[in-house]
Amino acid sequence: MLFNSLSFVVFLVIVLALYYSKLFNWTNKKRMLLLASYLFYAMWNPPLILLLWISTVVDWSAGKRLAIEENQRKRKLWLLLSMSINLGFLAFFKYGDFLLENFVTIVNSIGFEFEANPMGILLPMGISFYTFQTMSYTIDMYKKKTERAKTFLDFALYVTFFPQLVAGPIVRAKELITQFYEPKKATSNQFLWGLFLLTLGLFQKVVMADSLLAETSDTVFDSTQLIHGIDAWVGTLAFSGQIFFDFAGYSTCAIGIALMLGFVLPDNFRYPYASLGFSDLWKRWHITLSSWLKDYLYIPLGGNRHGITKMYVALMVTMLLGGLWHGAAWTFVVWGGLHGTYLILERLQRKYLPFKITKWNGIFLAFITFSCVNITWTFFRAPDFPKAWNMIKSMFYMQSDGINVIETFDIIKVCTVVGILFLCHWFMRNTSVKEVAQKSSPVFLGIVWAIMIFALCIAQGSGEQFIYFQF
Amino acid sequence: MKLKQSFLIASTLLFLALITWEIYWRSQGYYPTIDDNKALWAVQRSKVEFLTSEDVILTGSSRVHFDIQLDVFEDITGKRPLQLAVPGSSPLPIFHDIVNNTEFNGTIIVGVTPPLFFSTTYPKAEPWHRAQSKVEHYHDRTFAERLNHQLSLPLQSNLVMMSGHEENSDENIDLKGLLRNIKFKKRTPGPAYPPFFEFGDVSIDRNVRMSEQCATDTVFANKIKNAWKFILTSEGPPPDKNSTTNYFAKDAKKFTERGGNLILVRCPSSGMFYGGEKQFFSRETFFDSLVNVTQARAYHYEDYEQLKSIDCCPEWSHLSAENADIFTKELVNVMLEDGAITNYKTK
Repeated sequence: MLFNSLSFVVFLVIVLALYYSKLFNWTNKKRMLLLASYLFYAMWNPPLILLLWISTVVDWSAGKRLAIEENQRKRKLWLLLSMSINLGFLAFFKYGDFLLENFVTIVNSIGFEFEANPMGILLPMGISFYTFQTMSYTIDMYKKKTERAKTFLDFALYVTFFPQLVAGPIVRAKELITQFYEPKKATSNQFLWGLFLLTLGLFQKVVMADSLLAETSDTVFDSTQLIHGIDAWVGTLAFSGQIFFDFAGYSTCAIGIALMLGFVLPDNFRYPYASLGFSDLWKRWHITLSSWLKDYLYIPLGGNRHGITKMYVALMVTMLLGGLWHGAAWTFVVWGGLHGTYLILERLQRKYLPFKITKWNGIFLAFITFSCVNITWTFFRAPDFPKAWNMIKSMFYMQSDGINVIETFDIIKVCTVVGILFLCHWFMRNTSVKEVAQKSSPVFLGIVWAIMIFALCIAQGSGEQFIYFQF
Repeated sequence: MKLKQSFLIASTLLFLALITWEIYWRSQGYYPTIDDNKALWAVQRSKVEFLTSEDVILTGSSRVHFDIQLDVFEDITGKRPLQLAVPGSSPLPIFHDIVNNTEFNGTIIVGVTPPLFFSTTYPKAEPWHRAQSKVEHYHDRTFAERLNHQLSLPLQSNLVMMSGHEENSDENIDLKGLLRNIKFKKRTPGPAYPPFFEFGDVSIDRNVRMSEQCATDTVFANKIKNAWKFILTSEGPPPDKNSTTNYFAKDAKKFTERGGNLILVRCPSSGMFYGGEKQFFSRETFFDSLVNVTQARAYHYEDYEQLKSIDCCPEWSHLSAENADIFTKELVNVMLEDGAITNYKTK
């Protein structure tokens, strides 16, 4: 079920009505939330709930054993069981065809004639998110960094909690499971703030991403010819804005919906396009994935504890795998590789060419960072390398003989929207929506709220899927 | 934060803004309509699974959609056909889907609009893709999408602001549609598409009737004609008679072998459409050849005085609602006389 759909409106109203009714005690309210979460997922593809159940049961059992088992070898085996099931699901469902395709290429390249039809496996929605979330539980249990979930119900709800089930934020066990132990009820201010965040998230997705930017980005990236440099830049900027509004919109909706139920989810975005460098970017973009990769991949790979070279290797491996997490294609690996390179270059610059960031050079640095990020988006969005390379050629050689694929108004629209987005991020980089709202008059906030819902109503939207669902 | 106060202000302003918006568009001549989108098509397609050998399916392009009226057909025969025609598309993918993915062995009436029927079998070509995407949506639709569609119907039926069209139409008043209508200096190559407007009103079971405006307002009808003129004079790939005929014939054979009753119908056209079709899709080379290959019963409107004499067509390609009623009545009577279909009222 998509947040930007009529069925979700009905679903949410019913869930809220049941949650705040006096029909159930706290345990039954959690059961209701769990059932609602399964229904939320099943409305897309019922049989794939089985994967969620298997993941839940395996990680619950592993967590239970890890809580009492002292034998280090057995503890390791329980951890391996959990990781192999979760990563096995990912490998089969997400990377099955990719692995097969590469296997065929390798076999053919060493002279063996071999052909294989793609397996055509359906990618279960949100599998990358919920497998990472449940794995974090067993890894933390193994490292004795978190307490075992008190009941199976609490754990199952942690795995399946519908606001963040399919596209995050990826929440750690200690951040969410403990919230299920005591009855939760949003205050009227929390509830309304949650509703405001839900509106803001939907506005970002339906109005900004889908109505204002998606069409231009699709036109440019779907074009099979060499395009004009301006078109390439504008298409990339459009995607840059689209993916931010799409994904940040989902996270904002998730945080808002959880808050309406009385739960607090962590921030996932903090004005990333005003980042001063790439370390800063990854503290602001998809924060919960960045911190997951840091804690469960970069640090176990050695982090910065074994010298500079090994740190760079760990950094690059983390970013390459982070790229692959986003999609089963080499273009995503290149995207990750570029970010890894940026991070290494930034560290080298800090060591050999340090300079002080002031308010005067800050916006310039943010603009440079934003421009470099845009270059990486071409690999992220392009369907294949030839297209990505064509885009890069157009962007840097500024192909004046490339064809024009977008109209004058599209250029004005995208540059205006993305320009405002960049400036908003710059002026908001050290604050939050909540702080700004607190400083605003109720009348002004009411007008902004009304404009957002009105825009949502007239945008209508045909229920476009969130980009990150495919990851 | 005084969120309650903000919420009340937002609710009041929103209520006023939406009412104003709705009234404004109604004052501009808009009225609520159901969008003939893939979800609406899929609901009809799902009914095929429950049809018997007595039932009738209509498929084809927009002419069958506009010209055969379900109410009239039902009034005469006692059976309401299922409307699966898709405007601007080749009927081949849908016919293929019914033949190969269902057990249906009743009657299928296939509308033959030569420029579309014989256009292509290339999956990415627009006439094919438009129909195939509907078939794919039917097979892939989720429970959430089905529910969304059902929930959207009352909104579409009652609110102008909620009745946008899936296809890009210049009269769309959703945000995307409004932005698309802002024109600056053209910078892309090729001529600019003339504006295109919807000219039919669809019912919940996909019966379409030409709008009163198109039937009576020649200025409006001329706008549609301009769009047709643009399409007819644009350079496009040549027809692919052999591939399309062979593709269809294979499915037709399979369908008739399991007891299905296949009927081909050629609906009327006029003006530039008629001229173009006569010149580039001569009856002997295309329609008659298809009939010959498939050995299906076929009805060409020019063979029947009562069909030929109907006043066609306000915008060259489709009958007005009133004439579509007459056309359906006459066509059904001809078919009944031939024994091509059965009258379940008298049986």
